[in-house]
Amino acid sequence: MILHGVRAIYLRETLILRRKLVKTLLASAVSPALFLLAFGYGVGRGAQVGGVDYLAFLLPGLLTMSSMNQAYSIATEINISRFYFKVFEEYLLAPLHRWQIIIGETCYGITRGLIPVVIIGIYSLLCGVNLQFSPLFLLALLLHLAIFALLGFIAAMIVKSHSDQATINAFLITPMMFLSGTFFPVEQMPLAIRAVASIFPLTYSTQLIRATLTPEATVDYALFAVLGGILIILFLMAKRIVAKVEI
Amino acid sequence: MICAEAISCNGRPCEIEVQGLTRRFGKTLAVDSIDFRVGRGELFAFLGPNGAGKTTTINMLTGLLKPDAGEVRYQGERFDPHRLAVKRLIGVVPQHNNLDRELTAAENLLIHGRLFGMSGKGLQQRIGSCLEFADLTAKRDTPAGKLSGGMKRKLVIARALLHQPEILFLDEPTVGLDPHSRRKMWAFLRRINQQQQCTVFLTTHYIEEAEALADRVLIIDQAKIIAGGTPEQLKRSAGNYVLDIYREDEVQNEFFADRPAALQRLEQLDTSVRIRETTLEDVFLQLTGKRIAP
Repeated sequence: MILHGVRAIYLRETLILRRKLVKTLLASAVSPALFLLAFGYGVGRGAQVGGVDYLAFLLPGLLTMSSMNQAYSIATEINISRFYFKVFEEYLLAPLHRWQIIIGETCYGITRGLIPVVIIGIYSLLCGVNLQFSPLFLLALLLHLAIFALLGFIAAMIVKSHSDQATINAFLITPMMFLSGTFFPVEQMPLAIRAVASIFPLTYSTQLIRATLTPEATVDYALFAVLGGILIILFLMAKRIVAKVEI
Repeated sequence: MICAEAISCNGRPCEIEVQGLTRRFGKTLAVDSIDFRVGRGELFAFLGPNGAGKTTTINMLTGLLKPDAGEVRYQGERFDPHRLAVKRLIGVVPQHNNLDRELTAAENLLIHGRLFGMSGKGLQQRIGSCLEFADLTAKRDTPAGKLSGGMKRKLVIARALLHQPEILFLDEPTVGLDPHSRRKMWAFLRRINQQQQCTVFLTTHYIEEAEALADRVLIIDQAKIIAGGTPEQLKRSAGNYVLDIYREDEVQNEFFADRPAALQRLEQLDTSVRIRETTLEDVFLQLTGKRIAP
């Protein structure tokens, strides 16, 4: 009974996702395919990074980046339902604690984030790259998706209009995509960029997920604690922000 | 709990009690220390022009906005939106049709029921009966986005009734509907008030809607309540009859307690004059010097 709000919100979001699943699948498939072609078979063809083939380096980065995008994209959906269709009012009027809204939306963000994981898993098979989908990878992925779903939720709660959302994307999400070690190792970047990358959660989740997926790599377990800490901080922030939200 | 001054709730137990409710948006005072009471089972209209503060008031009454000052009591208990039980008492029909357009009519109700902790056969039965009550059974599996304006409005109302609230708030329930659909909606709202035994609190800027539906009307203008009572009381306070006196480029109104007094005055005038019964529009005009719908 206490989680009825979480279940209701998750049900609502996934029912809508089912209605537009084909569009979502295609959107999730196209962007990583283009990056794979441009970087994997174009710029980085035949190159070696950290002792592995560039494709084996790139694919985990693409998986992390694409799943981040999908999990974070709940920001736009919440935004539209809040400012345009006003469906979000239904949550605020219902007899449920507001943390249930956070968890319901985060679970939905995690579900969305799994879509590109499956797609890039298929790409890796097509490219002949051996990715190791282990329980450790699943734990890292879960933390990663929860962080970016929460970030999306927070962004949706603090913006005052739909256009504010685009500003956040331009100044936070796009730089994060390119500077967090998706395409190139962070260590090869200039010091200033490395400093910027160190404040992005994507840097840590990319590093951890790449290590869990790559058989030759060593997993730094401290990164689980880092991601766990970020997750707790973001949840507390979200709880504080949503408590103050008015229509 | 029943409030002591039941007489000020139109002779009924007090359902909603509002004291000193105030809300600002920046420098704008949207609602200025308003007080009123609504009796159980009443059909209560909050009448005023656009921007008067009606929606802000409903939003404060339902917990969507926090008041800067004042308090709301439901059945004698202070309203705290964080206390979940009180939210079950309330059903809200917002001004806009905030339906999930991709979901079917039944799915929209299903999600609402789940949000309110309903489940299983009980929820399915309630969905069926609400769709039937709103004459939407045939549209059960139609996406909400494909329903007509009137059907969408009915679906929003059916959704608000799903968890069997004791108080139903409707913010401008007939805005955007054509005159025929509006009259059908009035009959629907009367049916809700009578058959569902629900206290109905509606806001409107349509004079005829308040006159046709409400047991009591509260008139709000520029964030303040300027008059209240039954439509008959309000009209009586202005004068039951009015003369429209056509001058060169304007129409002046004079109010009279009865028809003979109005006729006596009419005989003294040497310009075009029309005699008619007073409406709530006249009451508003007399109180504010302007019309509700300019």
